Amino acid sequence: MLFNSLQYLVFLPVVFLLYWISPQRLRVPLLLVASYVFYCTWRPIYGLLIFGLTMATFLLVPFIHKAATAASGKHIFTPKVWLGIAVAVNLLCLAIFKYAYFAVGSVKQGLSMAGIDWKEPHLHIILPLGISFFVFEFIHYAVEVYRGKPLVKNFSALALFAAFFPTQIAGPIKRYQDFVPQLTEKLKFKWEYVDEGMQMILMGLAKKVLLADNLAMVVQAGFAHPENFSSVDLWLITYAFAFQIFFDFAGYTDVARGSALLFGYKVPINFNLPYMAANVADFWNRWHISLSTWLRDYLFIPLGGSRVSRPLVYRNLFITMALGGLWHGAAMHFLAWGAYQGIVLILHREYVRVLEAVGINKKLAASPTAAKLYHWFSIVATFHIVCIGWVLFRADDMKTAGAMILKLVQAPVDLLHFSASQLAILQIRDPIIFPALLLLLPGLMISQPIIAWLNDKKFYQSPPWAVQVSLMVALMCLLTIFSPDSSPRFIYFQF
Amino acid sequence: MNSVEAINKRVKVNPLKSRFLVASAGFALLSASMAALAFGQTKPTDFAYNTWTTWAIKEFVEEAKKPDLVFLGSSLMLVPLDSTDADHLQRRIDGSAHHKSAYFEDRFAEKTGQKVSTYNFSLPGEMPSDAALITDFLLKGEKAPKVIVYGVGPRDFLDNLLQSPAATDPFQTLSRFGDWTKRVDLIVPQWQERLSYELGQAFYTYGSKSQLVFNANKVINALLDKVAPQPQLKQTAVELAGVRRLLLPDYHPFEINRQQCLFSPELANARPKFEDNVGEYRQRYKNLKLETFNGQMQFLSDILVTAKSRDIHVVLVAMPITDVNRNLLSDNIWKLYCDRLRTLAAANSESTTFFDMQASGGFKTEDFKDTLHLHSGGGAKLLDKIVQVMATDKPTMAALTSNNNIALERFRQTTRQEAMIEQKESPAL
Repeated sequence: MLFNSLQYLVFLPVVFLLYWISPQRLRVPLLLVASYVFYCTWRPIYGLLIFGLTMATFLLVPFIHKAATAASGKHIFTPKVWLGIAVAVNLLCLAIFKYAYFAVGSVKQGLSMAGIDWKEPHLHIILPLGISFFVFEFIHYAVEVYRGKPLVKNFSALALFAAFFPTQIAGPIKRYQDFVPQLTEKLKFKWEYVDEGMQMILMGLAKKVLLADNLAMVVQAGFAHPENFSSVDLWLITYAFAFQIFFDFAGYTDVARGSALLFGYKVPINFNLPYMAANVADFWNRWHISLSTWLRDYLFIPLGGSRVSRPLVYRNLFITMALGGLWHGAAMHFLAWGAYQGIVLILHREYVRVLEAVGINKKLAASPTAAKLYHWFSIVATFHIVCIGWVLFRADDMKTAGAMILKLVQAPVDLLHFSASQLAILQIRDPIIFPALLLLLPGLMISQPIIAWLNDKKFYQSPPWAVQVSLMVALMCLLTIFSPDSSPRFIYFQF
Repeated sequence: MNSVEAINKRVKVNPLKSRFLVASAGFALLSASMAALAFGQTKPTDFAYNTWTTWAIKEFVEEAKKPDLVFLGSSLMLVPLDSTDADHLQRRIDGSAHHKSAYFEDRFAEKTGQKVSTYNFSLPGEMPSDAALITDFLLKGEKAPKVIVYGVGPRDFLDNLLQSPAATDPFQTLSRFGDWTKRVDLIVPQWQERLSYELGQAFYTYGSKSQLVFNANKVINALLDKVAPQPQLKQTAVELAGVRRLLLPDYHPFEINRQQCLFSPELANARPKFEDNVGEYRQRYKNLKLETFNGQMQFLSDILVTAKSRDIHVVLVAMPITDVNRNLLSDNIWKLYCDRLRTLAAANSESTTFFDMQASGGFKTEDFKDTLHLHSGGGAKLLDKIVQVMATDKPTMAALTSNNNIALERFRQTTRQEAMIEQKESPAL
């Protein structure tokens, strides 16, 4: 079931009504049933998968706790071994469903390079929706219990933690210490849940339907046939993808958070103006926050984090980001994207070291104007570094990504003798998004600092009532008029 | 926005101050006001882009003269008619611009000595539900023909790849030409489509979105022409459309521009290779959906009844198909299809002539370009047979020789009566 579907338009109000008229003790079971219905509308058999993994985690994790509290030598395995088993069960599931094709394909490619013709087994595996997200939530739970946090003793609570329908398919990746206690809170219905929740949902749908889906058309054309576009066109298309993926995923997250809020639940934020980041490390503090903090806590830190020698820190960074890339999808271009992020993070650390060694930071601190200029330069530079990464992320394969990047780097030379008449996007007038890109992209870029400024002024915490009502009316009108007959799936549904 | 904690701390709750409730009421009010003002309404003939249907409607509406005979049907009818004319006229036929059967007109004149003008309203994928809208909304009054020749095949009733009658291009275009809600249960049978339809009825902004988007695009285009004008291009519009189709293959899948669907003359001994499209039809015929079958038969019945009420004679032709295609259907289903056609034709026998071209056995596999569509040679054979049937069928000939004055007068009377009723019902100004 998609958030931007008529099914959801019926499902959400029905569950909402049932939830608030139900007595407190029935609310968690009700949400659990609703979440499984939500999941099973796609492929009922995979309901068993999420149930099975929940059961396995529920049964295995207490052994970590028992082994940790038992006297030395009294338990069959150490807590670490039990943790290893719990994590392995989850990762094995992920590996089978998500990486089997990739593994078989890679082996075949490797063997063929060695001159061996291998007839690979025929696999017929359909990637279960949301598996990457709920597996990460289970691993987080197991690790936290290993680290001494309390167990979840109620099966329904753990099941709902993973299956909660607003966050089930594409996160945000929740922390059980934040989510599970909310299940026992005795909430009374308040109109504010509806007001805040619906405002988030409307904003999210607007981001997805009005912006991301329209930008998707230009992006699809550009990435499918880069040969038909000039280098300047391709930069515009890359910018378009940067905003498409942001609005697609941020839109999804808004709908997820808004839906959760309708039931009085809080789920973590995922974005904080990522394109206002002044460096790549800052970008990862603002982009897909629930994933980047997960990678930090359960991969980077266990590898040694920053408390080891510099080469090892860089190794840790690289491994974390490369695996983070592979988490997005079982393909070389995702791995390359992750590796690219690792490399630019390492380069950023070296760059900071050089700046400190030269003493530029002190000089900038002495001149506010220069500091401001440098800050804006950093934002623009970071955005472009991120955009290059998006090419690796979005391209269907490495060949296309390579061809596009080669053309993108030619842009400064092409710009010397470039005229608007060479822009392919201006030649296509239908869909209108092609020529409109020249108006839309500057608007979107300018909107980022304006939103940041409003954030600083704390406008969003208490906007005038009339402004909020008008915004909702405007969004309802725009969504009903401009919603396409068939909207593409959210990008992050495939991960 | 406020956090859950902040909301939980609050005590006072006043539903009348709920932003969402007030906004919903505001939206409903705005939508109703727009409906009352008919804000942004466009003419049904203001098409956002061109398709087979829009080309056919445009020419039909713009043509001053009414045709004597209108062909209806799917590609089963369209392909042989246009390819036969390409041979007959010895020139390339542009499917978007050619809406007649010159071959039929000439053969009919030869056979009967009577000149008839034709209009080809057969469209790719046209279902009986679409043909019913054409008949009901367009073939009336000044534009009512004397005879309709409607060629049907089993696919028209058994296409399981069709989501619903509302999913076709002809329906999406024709639905704005009249009121189709009397058949809403058949046209939007699935709950999601039905919900979408009901939302469209309830909220003007949703129900009239295609028109509002059309208007919005005009405004944006005008702005873009000033801010970012289209550069001088070397490519023709057709070439550009080709580029667009390559770049966005799923965008406006029904769009057809001039010179995009051409029928060229063929030599009898040098026809293109037979295309095996069995796989496609195996999918289409898989699992009979009785609901679809019955629904489409109901629309066929509507066509016959509407035509009868307008004194239009219908020649219903069960189109020939190859044995390969026929054998994809079980004997029971085939029998059901044939029986229902016969029954419907018999129920309207005064105004309907039924001719089962498949049962006539006059067609061989060599007459087809694939398992279903006749090539130009087969098309000529088909039209010869139709001419033969019509020339010897008294009701058809009587309809063609009549001047339709009775039907026209009846239409004018009805229109006058409707206008009088509307005047009476309108409040005095």
